[in-house]
Amino acid sequence: MEGRLFPSSYQKLKHGGGFFLKKRRLDSVKAYVFLSPFLFFFSFMVLYPIIKGFDLSLKGQRGARMWYVGFDNYARVLTDPKFWESFKIPAYLLLVQVPLMIFCAILIALLLEKVEGRKGATFFRLVYYIPSTIPAIVAAIIWGYMFSDSMSPFLPILNLVGFSGKLLTREIVPLVMLIIILWQLTGYTAIMIYSSLLSIPKEYTEAATLDGAGYWQIAFRIKVPIIKDMLITLFIFNAIGALQVFNEPWMLGGLVVLPTNYTPAMYIYNSAFAHGRFTYAAAMGLILAAITFLISFYFLKSATKEMFTE
Amino acid sequence: MKKNMKRTFIILSILAVIFIFPFYWLIIGSTKNVSQLFQKSLLPGVPNHFIENTVNVFAYEGGVFFHWLINSLIYSSVGAFVGVFLASMAGYSFRRYSFFGKKTLFIVILGFSMVPGYATTLPLFMIFSNLNLIDTRWAILLPSFVNIFGTYLMIAYWNQVPRELFDAAEIDGANDFTTFLRIGLPNILPGFITLFILAFVGIWNNFFLPLVMLNSRTKMPLVLGITTITDPQGFPVYNLTLTASLYAIIPLFIVFLSLQKYFKPQLGGVTR
Repeated sequence: MEGRLFPSSYQKLKHGGGFFLKKRRLDSVKAYVFLSPFLFFFSFMVLYPIIKGFDLSLKGQRGARMWYVGFDNYARVLTDPKFWESFKIPAYLLLVQVPLMIFCAILIALLLEKVEGRKGATFFRLVYYIPSTIPAIVAAIIWGYMFSDSMSPFLPILNLVGFSGKLLTREIVPLVMLIIILWQLTGYTAIMIYSSLLSIPKEYTEAATLDGAGYWQIAFRIKVPIIKDMLITLFIFNAIGALQVFNEPWMLGGLVVLPTNYTPAMYIYNSAFAHGRFTYAAAMGLILAAITFLISFYFLKSATKEMFTE
Repeated sequence: MKKNMKRTFIILSILAVIFIFPFYWLIIGSTKNVSQLFQKSLLPGVPNHFIENTVNVFAYEGGVFFHWLINSLIYSSVGAFVGVFLASMAGYSFRRYSFFGKKTLFIVILGFSMVPGYATTLPLFMIFSNLNLIDTRWAILLPSFVNIFGTYLMIAYWNQVPRELFDAAEIDGANDFTTFLRIGLPNILPGFITLFILAFVGIWNNFFLPLVMLNSRTKMPLVLGITTITDPQGFPVYNLTLTASLYAIIPLFIVFLSLQKYFKPQLGGVTR
């Protein structure tokens, strides 16, 4: 069987081999004509910057003067305790926010599936989805202010139950970030899961119902395992998101003083633009890209497979 | 069963309230002046300062907010359209032709869709400064013309277009570009609109690129501009920042709600 990307070679059967070869060469030319605008911008905006970044990362730098030093920057990044410290927040998000969010999203998706087709179902989906459409910066402004000591609507309640300290401290920032990300992405994630729940054939669950399985049993023993691939992909994308978190701490950093290496992305930005260490930042950027690539490997593999086989 | 359904609706409603609450707080925040904000009440400000805040946002620094709004609209609509159009041309190519290097190219596109902006933006900054593009609108537009994940999704959308359509057009004597424009595009229009909305929202919300590339306030998009609002002494003005935040997301809601019926939520679509 032909893969979906190479759906047919019927021309080969219909015409002689010579015609096919000519046709194929012409097809290649035509294909690249259509691909050329994309490839042009892809080369200049993605490929070239990565090559340029690699070249930069091999250089030492003092002010505007640069010279090649081999892999010195990489060696220094990998032994830089501030670089490794910056992974504390991504690790926390990966271990707490991502599993918590996916679990909540599964429960919400099951509830949405339950009311599917009833009045109001569309409204709930819209309301849950909307936080994911606004900029992380605006989300961080709203929640940052809602947790600030001067404006927090929660503070009067906390004072009532005997809390009398400073609310927005550096210690609470990870919690605020957790809340921001959960607020923005749980609904979106739930709707992703909900869509794949809808695609499960009814026969699967009907058989289990006849066997006397309860609602939650069916949900977690049958439905969730079927959509496992979707959940893994969601996990991968959120892990990458956790690694790249920048906007929330950047905005919250205006309310509480945060270290320049609070997250890897913040460390890269600050190394380049606050400390002027471009070549060092370029090396960190590429290490981050490599880690991202490793994390996404499962997704890349399965997406390729899906595209090339029926 | 009926009681069960009622309970489900109650839980869903409580969740809806939680998701809406921050928006509610943003809206009531925009009706208050600073001292009303400091009272921490959950009710709109009395007297209501919404109009005053709005006027102050629009009049801030000689109307720089309008620049931000127009910049955001230009960056998002032009960037999203060009990016998705080029992606759909690439998707058409993948569907219609078998060509040299097809599988390799697909894997390259997919692989690079995962490269974080934090890795490419710094070198891009160096490249753009050599080309004198720093602090110009091109520094935001050019990178948004390449929509890699969109291209990957476009390839998937095009795979659902029956090939017979192209063959029929070919027999009718249509050339390949006409076939793409007249036969192909209408068939992937829902996918085109979905990706356009995603790209629009993604560019609208992108903070890091303009933060690196732009210095002049008149060239900033809203998302960067609103973080620069201060009083003349450089201190934050909370009520103005909140009101500006509200106005920064309203256009997003208008685009999203007006095109919502064509929109299909898409995995990997959220660029924060």
